[in-house]
This record gives sequence, C-alpha cells and structure tokens, in this order.
Amino acid sequence: MPLSSRGRQAGPTIANSRGQSSGGRALVACVAVSLVLFTLSSRMGDEGPFGVVRGAFQTVTSPVRYLGATVSLPFQGLGNVVTNLTADQATLSELQAENEALRARNVELEEAEQTAERLQGLLDLRDANNLQSTAARIISGSSDSWTTTVTIDKGTTSGVAPGMPVTSSGGVIGQVIESAATTSTVRLLTDENSSISAMVQSSRVQGMLNGSVTGELRLTLVGTDQSVQVGDVIVTSGLGGAFPKGLPLGEVTSVENSPGSLYLDIIVEPFSRTENYEEVLVVTSLTEEQRATADDIAAADAQDQQGTAGTTSSTSEGQGDGESTQ
Amino acid sequence: MQVSDKNRNVRGAVVLAVLCLVLQLALAPNVGLGNGRANFALIFASCVALQVGGTSGVIAGFVAGLLFDLSSTGPIGLMAFCLSVSSYLLGMEQRNRMAGDLGATMALFCASALGVSVVYHLAMLLVGQTSSIVDALFLRALPTALLTAVFFVPFAYYFSRVRAASGGLGAGSIRAGRLGGSRGASHLGKRGL
Repeated sequence: MPLSSRGRQAGPTIANSRGQSSGGRALVACVAVSLVLFTLSSRMGDEGPFGVVRGAFQTVTSPVRYLGATVSLPFQGLGNVVTNLTADQATLSELQAENEALRARNVELEEAEQTAERLQGLLDLRDANNLQSTAARIISGSSDSWTTTVTIDKGTTSGVAPGMPVTSSGGVIGQVIESAATTSTVRLLTDENSSISAMVQSSRVQGMLNGSVTGELRLTLVGTDQSVQVGDVIVTSGLGGAFPKGLPLGEVTSVENSPGSLYLDIIVEPFSRTENYEEVLVVTSLTEEQRATADDIAAADAQDQQGTAGTTSSTSEGQGDGESTQ
Repeated sequence: MQVSDKNRNVRGAVVLAVLCLVLQLALAPNVGLGNGRANFALIFASCVALQVGGTSGVIAGFVAGLLFDLSSTGPIGLMAFCLSVSSYLLGMEQRNRMAGDLGATMALFCASALGVSVVYHLAMLLVGQTSSIVDALFLRALPTALLTAVFFVPFAYYFSRVRAASGGLGAGSIRAGRLGGSRGASHLGKRGL
C-alpha cells in the first residue's frame, strides 16, 4: 500500500477504461484543425470570417476586460510602495520641501484646470460640429506578451475603423488595428510593429518613428547630415494620410552619430503614457489642412534624394580610393 | 474497479474554465513581468490534462488555446496547437498526477509553460512578427513562462493538497476506491502536506 501518490499508475476506472483514451485521435484532429486555422489566419489577417469572429468575441468579453481595468486601477501605483518604504531621511526631507512647493503650485494648477475645462468644452463643441473625432476610454491592456496594445470602449458602431489615429491629451498614443462593434484594439507607438511618419518640429527633418520590444521609440531614416538635437520635439508629418500633421509624439532624448553610419541613431521619449487608463480621442477623419501639403511631400522627397546622393557619393569616393565597399 | 463521478468532474472543469477565462481577460492584461503576460489558458489546459488527461485533456487544451487566440491579436490557431500538444503530453501517462504531489506538478507545469512559450514565440518569429530571436526568447517567452508558473502555484496547491482530499476533476476516482492512490492522497491531505 503506497503512502504517497508519487509514481502511482492509473488504475482501471470506469472512466478511463470506457470513456477515456490516450487522446491520440483527438490530438491529430485538434492539431490538424489548429494548423489549418493558423495558416488561413496568417494568410487572411483580420479580414473575412476570422476578423468577424474575433470581433464578436472581443465584444462579448469587453465587460470582463472593463471590470478588470476598473478593479486594478487603484493598484496601478503599487510599485511605488517599495520605493517609499526604503527612502532615507534626506529623501524624505527633500520630498517634504517638494510637497510644500507642489501645494503652492497646485493652487495655480486648479485655476489652470478650470481654464482647461472651459477650453476643453470649446474643443468638444468644435469636434461635435466637425465630426472629426470621437472620445473613448482605455478599458484594457494587451492580454498577450507579443503585442503592446490597448483596448478602447468604442468600435464600429461609433465610427471607429482600423487605421484611425488615437491621441490622448499629451499626444499620439497609437493607431487602431482592429475594430469590433463596441471595442477597438489600438497598437501603441511603443509596439515593435508600430511605424509612423514623423518629423522634427524645429528643423522639419523627416523620418520614421518606430517602436521596439524594449519600449523605446527610435526615429529612423534621418541622415547624418541632418540637424537633430536632444530636446527637440517630434511631431507627426502627415505623410501617408493616416495621421494628422503636427500632432506631438515625443521628445528626443538621445542622438548618436555612429562612424560609418548613414543615419543618426535617435531615441525618442513618448509624451503620452497609457498607465493611467485615461480618456483618448480617436481621429475619425482628416481635414485638408491636417494632411501633408505638396511642399511637405517635396521636402521629404528632397531629403530622401539627398540621403541617396550622399550614399552614392560616399560609395564613389570609396571606390575611387580603392577601398572595399562591400 | 473505480467509479468516477463524471458530473462532479464536469462541474469542476466548467468552474475552472470560467475562472481562468475571467482571469485571462481581466487580470492578465493588468499584470505584467516586462513584456510577459500570464497565460491562464495554459493553466486551465494543464490542470485538466494532469487531472483527467486523454481525449478530454486534448480537447480542453484546444478550446482554451482557441479562446486565447481570439482574445489576443496574434494568428488564430497557434496557441490552440501548442496547448493541444502540451495537454496530450501532460495527460498521456497517468491520471490524477496533481493529487498529493505539488513538487512534481510544478516541475511538469514549468517545463510545459517554458515549452509552450518558446514554441509560440518562435512561431511568431517565423511568421515575421519580429526579427530578433533574442527578443522573442528572453524578453517575451521567458517572462511569460515565469509569470504563468507563478500564477499556477495556487492552482497546483489547491488540486494537489486541498482538492486531493475531497476529490473532483478526476480526483473523485481516487477517493472512490483505488487503494494505493486513494489512501495515499487522503492520508497526505489529512496531514495537511
């Protein structure tokens, strides 16, 4: 008589002798169905029946996601508890002084808040008349480890469609990639597959703002002969037609010019964060003045040609000097 | 001969499925370890596979994986494939593996979670979602497996220590009359081990 269940073998039960098999046939069937679904899903994307089924599922389950976001809201700042517990006396004194300064500042900000509310009312009025945007609330983050997305509580019934840009009060946060009836999935700027036409606000240098797996934003395709400084503000360029021109994206925190590289390595800190589950605005249509002008497109082409010419020139010089260019 | 309480097993599986679905939709998006997110579909599939196994385990894994795919933005069918295979492997040897054996249960699950996460993220790599295998493995697969294993601990404790003494989701067959397994499990359960 064993005293432990360790190493126990299955006994002849009614269940496993009649109704239970090893599952080999079920495995073959499930694997076959999975592979078919995977292949079709990869080829079709979210078009067709897969998008419809996924949209219906996300619509049905949106109350649960909303509930989770609501319940977890008070715990968003839990990470600060450990920092607070380990703070030393100097830090506490510094924080007390800072607290007094912030109280004074708070009075000013309350005044500013009332002003902002009035201005927000005006903006809402303008949005309602022009029908260019719709307000939404972030109800959930990404449920998988692969994507950096959020779910908002507006879908196709509110006029939201894939491709529409999403902004918060701080600036652009991402772009709608899927829309169900009452919810939509927004790919954030920091997602690895995110890529937005952007430009430096001061110098009008254009590039592509790409997300990464580490959460950093990188402004790419900016030639080493262009002028970009730390602290420069990055805004949308409007090229491509999806994003309105001039929406703030972030601020340059690092610029590196590696020897031999054609492009600058620029890191950008995004203005908007979604940790606080804030309200966002989905831009549903663009006006003419929000689109990139012919001058902007010509400037982008000129910059591109300039970069290409620089590449050709340096290649020619390399060949002339007898250096290997491979 | 054992008599398994099938109705009780089904009830237990349904409760577990609803619990894991709610946790997957409500909790997983809000708790992260780096880029990792807990996979409650894997937890559900593994519990069923370890307790019941066989055809039921494979089908539970397939359905759980399919729901996971529908709740995410990745291709549909990939997690269903992974969970079908892992459920088959976990449930092919013996039933009621979780009863009274927390350490072995955790070891099996950790291996399964790591395997599923690595295969899932490698497949995403192959379909062109990223270009870096290092990112896929070390920034996504490993945190996911680790976080999932952490969230599996209460489930493993419940099924191996608490539920083993009372039966259910496969453990009912232990209680019903298999001498070695039933007395062993009950004995451990009564001693609170």
